[in-house]
Amino acid sequence: MSAEETLTLTSIRGLSDLPVGAAMGAGRSSAETMMSRASVLLQLWMTPKMIILGLVVVGLVGVLTFATSREVARTATPVTATVMPPARPTRPALSPVEEAFIQALWPIHGEVQRSLMRTSLGQILYKTSDLSRAELKARMEQAQVVYGRAETSIRALEPPASLRNDHQIYLDGVRLLRESAVEAMKMFKDGREDHLLTAYPKSQEASDKIREVGGKFWPNEFPPN
Amino acid sequence: MIQKLLRITMILGLLAVVGGLGRADVLRANDDRDRDNRRPPQVLPSGFESTDRLLDDVERAENAPRYSAWIVESSRFLNVPHRAFQPDVGDPPFVDLPVNVGILKDRDGKITLYDSGWKQLAYIFDWNTSCCWYGLRNQLRAIGLNPDDVIRIVLGHGHWDHAGQLSEFPNAVVYIQKEELKQIDFFLNYPVDFNSGHIRAVNTVDPLTGAQVGPPAQACARTPVCGYPPQTVQEILGKVLHGKAKIVDGRHEITRGLVIHPAFRGHTYGSQLLQVNTTRGQLVFGSDTYSSWTGIRDWFVANIQQTDTVQQFLAYEKCYVLTSRLNSFNNCIAAHEPVSYTAAYPITSNWWNIPNGNCSRAAELTLANGERTHVPANPDRTPPGQCVSVIPPHTISP
Repeated sequence: MSAEETLTLTSIRGLSDLPVGAAMGAGRSSAETMMSRASVLLQLWMTPKMIILGLVVVGLVGVLTFATSREVARTATPVTATVMPPARPTRPALSPVEEAFIQALWPIHGEVQRSLMRTSLGQILYKTSDLSRAELKARMEQAQVVYGRAETSIRALEPPASLRNDHQIYLDGVRLLRESAVEAMKMFKDGREDHLLTAYPKSQEASDKIREVGGKFWPNEFPPN
Repeated sequence: MIQKLLRITMILGLLAVVGGLGRADVLRANDDRDRDNRRPPQVLPSGFESTDRLLDDVERAENAPRYSAWIVESSRFLNVPHRAFQPDVGDPPFVDLPVNVGILKDRDGKITLYDSGWKQLAYIFDWNTSCCWYGLRNQLRAIGLNPDDVIRIVLGHGHWDHAGQLSEFPNAVVYIQKEELKQIDFFLNYPVDFNSGHIRAVNTVDPLTGAQVGPPAQACARTPVCGYPPQTVQEILGKVLHGKAKIVDGRHEITRGLVIHPAFRGHTYGSQLLQVNTTRGQLVFGSDTYSSWTGIRDWFVANIQQTDTVQQFLAYEKCYVLTSRLNSFNNCIAAHEPVSYTAAYPITSNWWNIPNGNCSRAAELTLANGERTHVPANPDRTPPGQCVSVIPPHTISP
């Protein structure tokens, strides 16, 4: 039996037990009789059981209302509308020759990027005393080899006319990296760390060039995060 | 007599049991002020901060100078699959994600940035799923601030969309966690014996097939090195070589009212939060550890990259602790909250489109030190859906 049913049954039982005849026999006005009835009803209702029951019901209704309003608020949260797409030309499909060139550049790109990352972080961690001079030297030597090999490989590629400019930019980037590494390596000969600072602008320019070409050739290379 | 002895023995036994439970130093995390010399050497402290320590920071900051604060939208990712952002929230199926940068001005007029937006123009141009990029220096000018006043940049983490444009602020000192840098270096060299190179993948190329793999099947989106293009690391290196970097290890008070809190693995290995004292209580900027404000409010993980979801929740809790005196989670500042710049994210509701800012938006969070509002008298609040952004300057043509 639900709480609501219990309440209804109790009310009916209360009404049937009213001493209606006695009240009317005393000759009171109908208003007084009504009031008296109400007071009796109230007395019947105001039992501890009923009060507790009432509080429980009110509490339950409150919890339900709060939960419902919270759910509604949560689902009604507006989400930013999609912005109008910028007007830009459609990316032209690659020809088989262009695709072949880009694919041939890919493994070189991977090796160059890894070496650049290792030398950049190597210098940072050397500066924070988390990498030894010898370890940094080893990384720089290894990078020099990679850049030299990459330069040779990229020169050997034959880009289609449409990608010649990108090819040149990428080649310039790798050349700059090699030159930067040569400058940085001087530190291990004369002990002067300012060679790293002198070498830096070239590696920064190189990283910009490589990122630009990479963004064009492999647009999904770095996903949103 | 025997009964007495038995009683005493029982009492002593009970006391021993209770005492043993009370010691519980195995179960209870140690305060980070106590050195735990028994920690195995390969286990990192992981940026643990006790609640008491955080509350100490609140109390200390409350007596410190206050900051004015704004956010600007460096750019916007468009139509991102919602579940890729928040696995537990899929409605609507696609969302636009702003990339928010925090701007904090002290009583001397000096500015601290929290994150520095992105730099990769080619990415925006070629991928064609983003909009509204606008240079951070220009954004600052357009909202009435002087970019030359930027003296610090606190990087919430080092991903390309949050740590770009560093070279645009040559005089600013960058704050980044050592843990962030060490983890990239570690995983660059991760052995390939049993994983075919997946774990050390630096980009979205499938290491097995060599094929370029874009969304949604991103080959590197969750790998430790992914998200740090050499260009971004170079910019950090530039700061280090020019003596303009502070490599932080864990908690660090930059100055009174401005405290870095580690949130290691909350998004990346070396993620960090920034507590800022303001007139509306402590603000806590969280970059991608706090990718979604509704995620913090409702306890949902978001933008899982190199994330340990438990650590992300613990980072959420840090915000709840630090903001417990005033405004609670309403003061947690998210980097990619889709409802940013709307009333649904109340602290960002005082927003406007940056004048000539390519549809990028700004929001005034709080003012202090007599700072006057930077919101224009008649702010342009053209909804994103009606704003047309343009292609930013770009050096390479398609």
